[in-house]
Amino acid sequence: MKGLERSFYSKASMYSFIVLMVLFFLLWMSTGQFTKVKWASSGYMIASIIFFIGMTIRLTAWGLRPATQQMIKRSFQNMKTKKRQKRNTKAIVTTLVDNIILQKYIFKRGIYRGVQHWLIAWGCIGSLAITFALTFNWMSFKMVDPSTFAVVVFGFETLKMHPESIFAEMSYNALNITSSMLLVGLVMAITRRLKNNDLKVTERAEFDLLPLYLMLAMTVSGLVLTVSYKFLSGWMHPQMALIHQITVVVFLLYFPFGKLFHLPIRPLATAVPMNYQEEVGVDTKNCIGCDELYSNDDQITDVQAILGQQNFDFEMQDGHKLSDYCPACRRKIRVMNHLNMPSPFGKTMEEPVQTNNGIHIPGFGRERNETFYEDVKGEK
Amino acid sequence: MKKVMYLEFERCIGCRSCQAACRECGGHDAKERNYVEYIDFFESRQTYPMMCMQCKDPACAKVCPANAIQITEEGVVLSAMEEKCIGCRNCTFGCPFGIPKFDFEENKMYKCDMCYDRTKYDISPMCASVCPSDAIRFIDHDEMMELRRRRTQMNLIEGKKPSQNDKWQYVPEFFGVYSD
Amino acid sequence: MTEFVTKPGVKNLQHPGEKLITTHCCYCGMQCGMHIRLNEKTGKVVGVEPRYDWPVTLGKMCPKGVTAYQTIDHPERITKPLIKKNGEFVESTWDEALDLIEKNFKSLQGKHGKDAVSVFGGVSMTNEKCYLVGKYARVALGTRFVDYNGRFCMSSAAGGFMKTLGIDRGSTLPWPELEHTDCFFMAGTNTAECHPTTIQWLWKARDKGAKMIVADPRETPTARIADVHLDLKAGTDSALANGMMHLIIKEGYVDEEYVNERCNNYEELKASVEKFTPEYTSEITGVSIEKLVKAAHIYGKSPRSVMMFARGVEQQAKGVDNVTLYTSMALLRGQIGKFASGVATFTGQGNGQGGREHGQKADALPGYRKIDNPEHVKYVSSVWGIDPSEMPKAGVSAYEMFDEIQAGNIRAMHVICSNPAVSAPNNNYIWDSFNKLDFMVVSDFFLSETAEFADVVLPASSWAEDEGTTTNLEGRVIRIRKVKDPIGESKTDWEILKLIAERMGKGSFFNYNNPRDIFEEFRVASKGGKADYSGITYERIEKEDGIFWPCPSEDHPGTPTMFQESFGTPDGKANLAAVEWQEPDENPSNEFPHILTTGRVVFHYLSGSQTRRTDFLMEQCPEPYAEMHPHLASKYALQDGDNVYLETKRGSMTVKVKLTKAIREDHVFIPYHWGKELSVNKLTNPALDPTSRMPEFKVCAVKLKKV
Repeated sequence: MKGLERSFYSKASMYSFIVLMVLFFLLWMSTGQFTKVKWASSGYMIASIIFFIGMTIRLTAWGLRPATQQMIKRSFQNMKTKKRQKRNTKAIVTTLVDNIILQKYIFKRGIYRGVQHWLIAWGCIGSLAITFALTFNWMSFKMVDPSTFAVVVFGFETLKMHPESIFAEMSYNALNITSSMLLVGLVMAITRRLKNNDLKVTERAEFDLLPLYLMLAMTVSGLVLTVSYKFLSGWMHPQMALIHQITVVVFLLYFPFGKLFHLPIRPLATAVPMNYQEEVGVDTKNCIGCDELYSNDDQITDVQAILGQQNFDFEMQDGHKLSDYCPACRRKIRVMNHLNMPSPFGKTMEEPVQTNNGIHIPGFGRERNETFYEDVKGEK
Repeated sequence: MKKVMYLEFERCIGCRSCQAACRECGGHDAKERNYVEYIDFFESRQTYPMMCMQCKDPACAKVCPANAIQITEEGVVLSAMEEKCIGCRNCTFGCPFGIPKFDFEENKMYKCDMCYDRTKYDISPMCASVCPSDAIRFIDHDEMMELRRRRTQMNLIEGKKPSQNDKWQYVPEFFGVYSD
Repeated sequence: MTEFVTKPGVKNLQHPGEKLITTHCCYCGMQCGMHIRLNEKTGKVVGVEPRYDWPVTLGKMCPKGVTAYQTIDHPERITKPLIKKNGEFVESTWDEALDLIEKNFKSLQGKHGKDAVSVFGGVSMTNEKCYLVGKYARVALGTRFVDYNGRFCMSSAAGGFMKTLGIDRGSTLPWPELEHTDCFFMAGTNTAECHPTTIQWLWKARDKGAKMIVADPRETPTARIADVHLDLKAGTDSALANGMMHLIIKEGYVDEEYVNERCNNYEELKASVEKFTPEYTSEITGVSIEKLVKAAHIYGKSPRSVMMFARGVEQQAKGVDNVTLYTSMALLRGQIGKFASGVATFTGQGNGQGGREHGQKADALPGYRKIDNPEHVKYVSSVWGIDPSEMPKAGVSAYEMFDEIQAGNIRAMHVICSNPAVSAPNNNYIWDSFNKLDFMVVSDFFLSETAEFADVVLPASSWAEDEGTTTNLEGRVIRIRKVKDPIGESKTDWEILKLIAERMGKGSFFNYNNPRDIFEEFRVASKGGKADYSGITYERIEKEDGIFWPCPSEDHPGTPTMFQESFGTPDGKANLAAVEWQEPDENPSNEFPHILTTGRVVFHYLSGSQTRRTDFLMEQCPEPYAEMHPHLASKYALQDGDNVYLETKRGSMTVKVKLTKAIREDHVFIPYHWGKELSVNKLTNPALDPTSRMPEFKVCAVKLKKV
């Protein structure tokens, strides 16, 4: 691998090249050695290829960040460990179901937000999948005879069914269904963005709003296309097709670089149950200051490794790292330092916790220098 | 933003106004992001307020595997972007000051953003606005320097002399963001 | 008139679609300035914005203030009149409720005389309303039994100031001057928790080198930052003050010229403090001699000092004596009537200052006039349009009203803006008295513990639903603005009083259309009195950031600093106090070996009927606790968090223990903001001060048992 990597400018270019080769091969396979290429949708094809390259570059760059790398590294290690297979499978399945398919955590932020996000997410993923499948001809439909209808995947006929069956109807209209979901979700999202003042605090138009409007344009023009050929006997169809193509191309080019990039990184969430918390919210590592549970060993090792790689020096005099303490103890350490007092967790604990730096003596106990009362203002 | 947040822990009277006020801030979703804690209630009623330092090179952002923690152009370190945060809590362990909070229910991290909607316009954040004892202040950089000098003098009166290595201990907490 | 006022250069965050309304907090006497955020479309209160330009508080707020707005549109608000039928409250119409009140008031007065109906007022409402309560009782009901919850709060300070200075104004100096003071002597005041926004002024002064001496049995957050903390035993304030004066005289810190010119009684005082040597004082108070001497030196040497005290010294059977002695301490140093120095009491209730000047008190008439003075009665009668002979005689104090109920003299009671079921001492007696009443009406905006005893509950408006004025702890008259219309069918207190007055056939005396009408009448009524408001108008308050009374004419600037030339006594001289040491009413005995003292926490306000309904505050402090020193706890094998059973001669309760070394070893402290089984006032002692009739909340003997 190292040798191969050296033949490229960078990791990113290597992966991009591999992705390109795979795409080329798939295309070659599914178009019958390029005999069945649909040149009318070449815009889609080129944009899709750029989309894949962009995605590869972004994912590579992201994977190279020390924090991400560390987490991925541990994930792979754990996946290879035989003893953890049960936990790994459970982690992957629960993340896939709860986190990605059902998106439960977003529903907990609010039903409205949950519904909105779920519609957009699955509308978008569905539409993308269909678009890629159709443009690269990975999948197509074929009438075998008037009563049989076949789904062709990579040039092979797979499912066969009656053309008037429900499944067939759904297949023709798949893109319409996903785009309708997307439309509803988008309208909900835009309404929320317009109405909720709190969102405006950190909102950035190019980051939070642009993708919404872009997707809206794409969805609406696509649906208009359907309306046009189904109900208006193709009125304005070529113009609309062009507009739709333009919006989709822009969308595909934008996807890897904007807010929507959060989609491909979501599977990383598997790492949380797989590497760190077997049960959500249950900790296993004790704070060395107060002995409360606050994290687990693997995660602290990872965090310390990540910090170390980036030259953060959070080591204390006694050799412990700050992350060996729970957040509450870390706050206390900071305060004690600034109040001019030794850390409460130093090696010697004989002295009581001093809560005052001597400028103001408390009433119970300690005395203060007599001269303080005489000289402080310099007038008596 | 030319102003800085200035904390004087000693002044804290433990009223937790800052926390009540934090909930009032735009985008805070009625959850406070700051802390008021006793040092040791058994010994004394000394409390201290604690909030984000808004580091220039924040450890929390650097330990985030999803790259979800963003810094605004003014230098404010924001809560993890909800769409990116995968809920690993690395930030809460990476932060040397124990600041980020985590919501297991909603699976997201949230932290002090210095009331971005206010400080953006140079209006004091809610916590500093209401703090009845001026333990939290939002002041000009010059005023902060002046306070630090005076504070150092006060410490010297008691006969404590800073040595080469611990000078920083003789000034109170200050932090903040100031883009120039 | 604009609703949102700021000075030039003040930036506030204004959200689109929201209106800011400039007003003050509803809670304590600080009356912190704030803007309330109102959603213009829904008409709902959505939040609070600091009022940076209010000169007294500069935008600062305590947690109660920040969350105060949450009570306005609170789901537990009473929105319809409630009538108790078969022990259950049933929602009814205003007509039904008023019919019932009219019927019962008239029949009881017919059978038992006018005085059978009584009024129990409160001072957490505007001056307009406080004024009207007195007039309502005397004109509409014609009863002599009217008094108010200020008896549990302010009356000792009032009595003490009247005796020594001749006029009772809470603070003789405006708050912003505190910044320039050199020394604060604070007795029995936990300012950091009860009036937190004052702390900024103390710190400003301390930054300039000011010293702070705090006398408190607990090392409160206020005492923690003191230069000298005099950790005295509860109830020994008069000894401490005498001891301090002994040292001040002995060390020659007396401002002889000032005392000779402006004070009476100096020789008597000298004689009476003679025996209060540091040794003797230390023996009584439990404060070490060293601390006493140090405190006396600091206080004596300071060129400008302010003497401050609060409920700690006032809520005692000798509260008035304590106040006169501490005031005398300031007089000996010649501090009263000068810049950045003087004497101040921390008014507990929002309008504790204003409320006690307007004739809600059993023996007082508007403008601090006295009901036993024929001249005063004549003047007020003329303003009210009644014959002086119709003016009822003086009544009895708040706690003594319950004695009258037990004696069968009071048959009905109208409680307005008060919750004596929690705040009065010896709760069991109070509850029993409420049950003995034939008829009871409560006006409130939450169903308080007192309201639960009532036969009729009238839904009153909250502070944000009406306009008016209040007088803050400095004596500054300020404006409360209306934020929104009253919720549901609730009505403002003055409307309620007017409606009942109409039913009692006295409607012609209550011909008001808005609070301004009442204020105009009240200006006339207070004219020429000690608390003269006649020069104050709503417009002037807004323009001049509040006006200090006395303000006898519209071109008078008000009186920020009192007693600059002379005192309010007949001869213009202050009366120094010569008071002997007197034990608290109840002392530790073999059966009840420890001292119980009560107080506030920063998260709750008085009887807690509002703050216990605010989420944030309840999260911080959900229930009372018994704070004690680990030394005391170990005698009973009590650990932090254990339950402890406390009992006094009057009642008992069980609470959790909270251990801290920041309290005297022989004291137990319990905050009093909870009702029913959590009310510490079941235990407190109702021994009354002979002058102010204020109960001794702060000291009683208690025994402990581990549960």
